[in-house]
Amino acid sequence: MTTVMLVDDSATMLMSLKSILTKAGYAVETAGHGKEALDKLGKGVKPNLIISDVNMPQMDGITFAREARKAPGMRFTPILMLTTESEQTKRAEAKAAGATGWLVKPVGPDQLLGVIKQVLPGA
Amino acid sequence: MPSLLRKLSLAQAEPEEPALRPDVVAGALDAVPSYCDVVDGHVHDVIEQTGEAAYAIIQQLVKVDSLAEVMAGDVAQLAGTLTRTETELSQVSAGNDQLVGRLISYFLHRDHQIRALVDQMRELDQHVKQIEEVSRATNILALNAMIEAVRAGEAGEGFSVVADEVRKLAHRSAEAAHGIGSSIGDLTAKLDAVLSDDSQFDRAQDMPETSEETAMTRRLGGIANAQREMSEMVAGILKDTVKAADQVQRSSDALTSETTGAVGHVQFQDISRQMLEHVAEAVGDVRRQTEDVVAYVSGGLTEEELMARRISVEDLRAKHVMSRQRTTHAAQTGGAEHTDAEPLIELF
Repeated sequence: MTTVMLVDDSATMLMSLKSILTKAGYAVETAGHGKEALDKLGKGVKPNLIISDVNMPQMDGITFAREARKAPGMRFTPILMLTTESEQTKRAEAKAAGATGWLVKPVGPDQLLGVIKQVLPGA
Repeated sequence: MPSLLRKLSLAQAEPEEPALRPDVVAGALDAVPSYCDVVDGHVHDVIEQTGEAAYAIIQQLVKVDSLAEVMAGDVAQLAGTLTRTETELSQVSAGNDQLVGRLISYFLHRDHQIRALVDQMRELDQHVKQIEEVSRATNILALNAMIEAVRAGEAGEGFSVVADEVRKLAHRSAEAAHGIGSSIGDLTAKLDAVLSDDSQFDRAQDMPETSEETAMTRRLGGIANAQREMSEMVAGILKDTVKAADQVQRSSDALTSETTGAVGHVQFQDISRQMLEHVAEAVGDVRRQTEDVVAYVSGGLTEEELMARRISVEDLRAKHVMSRQRTTHAAQTGGAEHTDAEPLIELF
């Protein structure tokens, strides 16, 4: 089963996205911030896709994306940034950090699942 | 703010004018930090409450979704059962039709056998008439023999001829009696067969179809029609129920789709939270600047320090992260209208 890791400091966002993805048939791992997500990757969690917020306590999403790329087996795993941030500067930072795409909140369920199909064609 | 500073500096340079009292300014601004703290508290209350409400809404939507899925499963199971029942009913109905058809064929066959018996019994009448004829002839011969015997007296030649005829008649009588006997035996055997042998019933399905009718077959046909009509009625009810179940399933799917959409819309809370956090941060900036002014008039902060730390609308703009925030900022400050050309979804 395809596993998606959700990283967001909002419990509401985590639950909302988890509900949408679970119904679509994905297994879901959650983390409240970048550091927690990085710890999970270090403990052997191997998601097929990561969807991360940008502005989070302890470790922001862009730093997390940069660090996640260094984790074993995570070099080519798609990382989507899902954020309220819309400025090009931040997008460029995320791209340089290794992010695969940028989604501005709110994103509808169909849009989200459509993007996932694009970055995970076989899933 | 610049006018306040000018007045403060003028107060120092021209002592004869009414002095601007720093303690009054500090006193007037004294409550602002607490005021800002309360506003900040309220803003965070709103964040907390909307967060809890949004979380509860998602929980309930997920629950509704689960119930809809369970309902869809139940309905699908019901529809499956109804479809199977309809098929079985159709098979039973066809079996009953076949059974009644065989019964009709069987009774028609039995009628044919009975008619054959009746025909054979009519043949018995002919044998009886033959015996009666022989009997009449025998009587006449007997009378003739009596007359001849009287007339001949001792001459008995004629009598011997009569006697010979009587013998022949007796023979014919014996044959007729034998015919009657064998016909009766045959009839008895056939009647026994008709009454006790129902093996023809099992072979009735192989018998050719016929348009013949009897009172019995008409009744059986009536029973078959009644059970067919009932079967069609029940099948109709089952089909309608299956249709209704399909409709419920479609509604359940639509409900699930709507709840998924609603779950997606709850993202507004995260967006509102971040907007409110920026508002709280701006209130904090106002609080800090108020404290700086109080420190300045109290001599705790120099003019340069005060001016270096002052807040500005441009700084506030730089803190915005959302396109909507920038649009609102432009509208409130009369600045250039914000246009965000960046796509909402971008794959690198």
